[in-house]
Amino acid sequence: MIDLQLKVDPFPIVEPLVIRLQTVQASRFPAASENDAMLVYHDENIADFDVGGFSLRVHTTDAQSLDGDVVLVTPGRNTLHRLIRASSRHNTLLITEQCDQKCIMCSQPPKKHHTDLFDYFLQAVLLAPAQTTIGLSGGEPLLHKARLFEFLEKAQSARPDIRFHILTNGQHFDKRDRTSLSALNMRSILWGVPIYAANAAAHDQIVVKAGAHKTLQKNLAILGTCGAVLELRTVLLNSNVLHLEDLANHITKHQSFASVWAIMQLENIGYARMNWDREFYDSSFSFVDVAKAIDLATGRGMETLLYNFPLCSVPSEYRRFCVASISDWKQKYLSTCDGCSLRSTCTGFFEWYSENKGFKGIVAQ
Amino acid sequence: MNVWPLQFRKIGENDLLFSDDSGSFFRSDDLFLDRYIQGALTHEDAEFLAYNGQAFETDGDFAFSGFASRWAKRINTAGDLSYFILVPTLRCNLMCDYCQVSRAAENASGFDWDRDTLEQVINLLDKQKANQVKVEFQGGEPLLRLDLLDAIRNFCRSRFEAAEFVVCTNLQTVSEEAWQFLEAPDTHVSTSFDGTSKFHLKQRTKTTTVQRQFEANLDVALTRLGVDRVSALPTIDPSDCPDPAAVIHAFAARSLTSIYLRRINYQGFARKKYGFDSALVDWRQYYRRFIAALIEYNTTADVPMEEYYLTHILRRILQSGHNNHVDLRNPNWLGKDLLVIDFNGQLYPTDEARMVSRIGKIDLSIGSLEDGIDANRVATLNSNVSNFDDPDCVHCAYKAYCGLDPIDDLSRYGRVDLPRHQTDHCKSHLDLFDYAFSLLYSADPTVQKSLAIWIGVPNYNPKIAPRTL
Repeated sequence: MIDLQLKVDPFPIVEPLVIRLQTVQASRFPAASENDAMLVYHDENIADFDVGGFSLRVHTTDAQSLDGDVVLVTPGRNTLHRLIRASSRHNTLLITEQCDQKCIMCSQPPKKHHTDLFDYFLQAVLLAPAQTTIGLSGGEPLLHKARLFEFLEKAQSARPDIRFHILTNGQHFDKRDRTSLSALNMRSILWGVPIYAANAAAHDQIVVKAGAHKTLQKNLAILGTCGAVLELRTVLLNSNVLHLEDLANHITKHQSFASVWAIMQLENIGYARMNWDREFYDSSFSFVDVAKAIDLATGRGMETLLYNFPLCSVPSEYRRFCVASISDWKQKYLSTCDGCSLRSTCTGFFEWYSENKGFKGIVAQ
Repeated sequence: MNVWPLQFRKIGENDLLFSDDSGSFFRSDDLFLDRYIQGALTHEDAEFLAYNGQAFETDGDFAFSGFASRWAKRINTAGDLSYFILVPTLRCNLMCDYCQVSRAAENASGFDWDRDTLEQVINLLDKQKANQVKVEFQGGEPLLRLDLLDAIRNFCRSRFEAAEFVVCTNLQTVSEEAWQFLEAPDTHVSTSFDGTSKFHLKQRTKTTTVQRQFEANLDVALTRLGVDRVSALPTIDPSDCPDPAAVIHAFAARSLTSIYLRRINYQGFARKKYGFDSALVDWRQYYRRFIAALIEYNTTADVPMEEYYLTHILRRILQSGHNNHVDLRNPNWLGKDLLVIDFNGQLYPTDEARMVSRIGKIDLSIGSLEDGIDANRVATLNSNVSNFDDPDCVHCAYKAYCGLDPIDDLSRYGRVDLPRHQTDHCKSHLDLFDYAFSLLYSADPTVQKSLAIWIGVPNYNPKIAPRTL
């Protein structure tokens, strides 16, 4: 597992600080601003960076791997956050931990308190490597949509090369947002929105919010008419596996403006860990309902993908739909995977995946 | 509840196919039709129509925008000019029975681009807005002017971000130099192979020596370029056609997986030699026999095979965005995204238009390299390219999947305003869509296996073709 936080020695600041770490003189990320901090000393356990004349000591065994990373240092805390790891394709900014849904498979259960970090996130985005895709997640980012739209507008105008992948439950749009949305470059934002069933009651039960499905339908239409690039996301559950084929029909009829439909395997953390025994659907045991949904949606021209499905859990004729979707920092392989010929293209498993409660059909190929 | 207008057409013995402008369709019966006409749809009917995306509650609700999206996605928007069919020479080293364009003799003069023409073509390419280009070299036999092909390809490679080339050659005489040219990964070969040796010999090569030469070159092409970069298209004479199984095996033996079955298109020499459209009935029967043989072949084949146009038809029924075939798209914009540059510098909107003009029946050129594109002529041609408001098409259950082909109408009838059902384009496409829907509603597992392959899914889900209960 890759560390997203690193221990630092106490550092004399009163305001949070966003800096970009530089470990080599001829860095791939040439110093451009006062936010750049050069590596001045390192050994096997520490790395010292020059931050405006002060030394920031980071505890790391691999100083070079931090080159180009954009980090957040917070007053009084002895950790720094690696907001944007220059060497990774999987960078996500956590906008808020608040949410109005309590999805039974949530990997990041909501909290009440919110700290507004948009100003620091904006600084971070300005320092990101060229052409980076940055995830914006939560919680529900749209709970702070005025700040979010402001952040996106500023970020896009300063860094038109950056792409955003925003995960939202789609509950908080209204017609008046069309102006804000139209002001953005919608082609470089991918909106990831969950939908669990065509059946409203089934969907609402999964997200634990009455009326959520109805609002979602209305708001997906708003996103669609604003030219949003849309990724519909459906986590596979015992609660919705029998609804999948109907959902495929629903999406191809009512959300055909979506770019992609992702059917996702469960990540056993947060509420999902709590509900695992009840909700984990072992697709390595029976794939029929997933297959029917893929056949219907793909046949009607909707690009359909499988996220978080280890290749051996999927019949060979459906493996071409699998994407190596698990983020690098929380991905692992099992001992069974040693010597598997498909390992290099396989998504693997979540760090917290538990073998004895998981797929029954994991076999090296 | 509001139901989007439905068109319908008899399908099978007792059933009707209903469809709307977004391309959503279902199969039902006369009883449903009666209820629909009388405004007496039942609760179950309403539920079904809502499920199938064919109804909405209020203007602008999600079902409304879902329909609007599906409708809009089917429209062929006029893209930037990025596809060029170039005819560097009209000379050819073969004389096929049905030559499309009244080719010129191999040693004739005055049928090639000269230096100035080449320069003008390059200037025209240079002026384009698009950052990618596809160039198809036609003829005559384009390999007779490898020097011109080379000049164009070199220019495009440096001028565009992405460039792709297709050489339409008879593969009769291919020098080592030409093979090296064809071997480039951005270059494809499209050739004619009339299904079996016997028919290719009869219709094209005439002597066994020339036939052997062709077959040897086809094999070399497949070996040196790989099957992915070679396509071979059979031209079929409906009155004397090869056994479908023999054609399939001849293609399979060469690892070719796509057959584009083309009925002889009566142009050029062919128009003089054969009857006009008496052969349509023969063709329909042959086409069905052929697809049946293909379905049988696919039940056991390791590497399945398709008929290119049927695949295209099926995908246009089920999906949007398949606008890459100029015979079938809507609106069928002419002189916009595609341009043909003839050996003499004349410009045409399609290759068909070049052929029709070449035989002197009607001049469908839209300008010349010398004078540029004639906007008036392009506008005139584009006055009737959409079936949205065509008085016949508006009633047709296949409207969403079909499109007009004004060039074909002009070539056959000299006018574009014939009642649709009298045109060859309409007759043949009605038939193709009828056939495609009969396949989509087939319960035969062997048919479904082939459908899955052609649609591009692992298995066929019959729910893709809904029916009321």
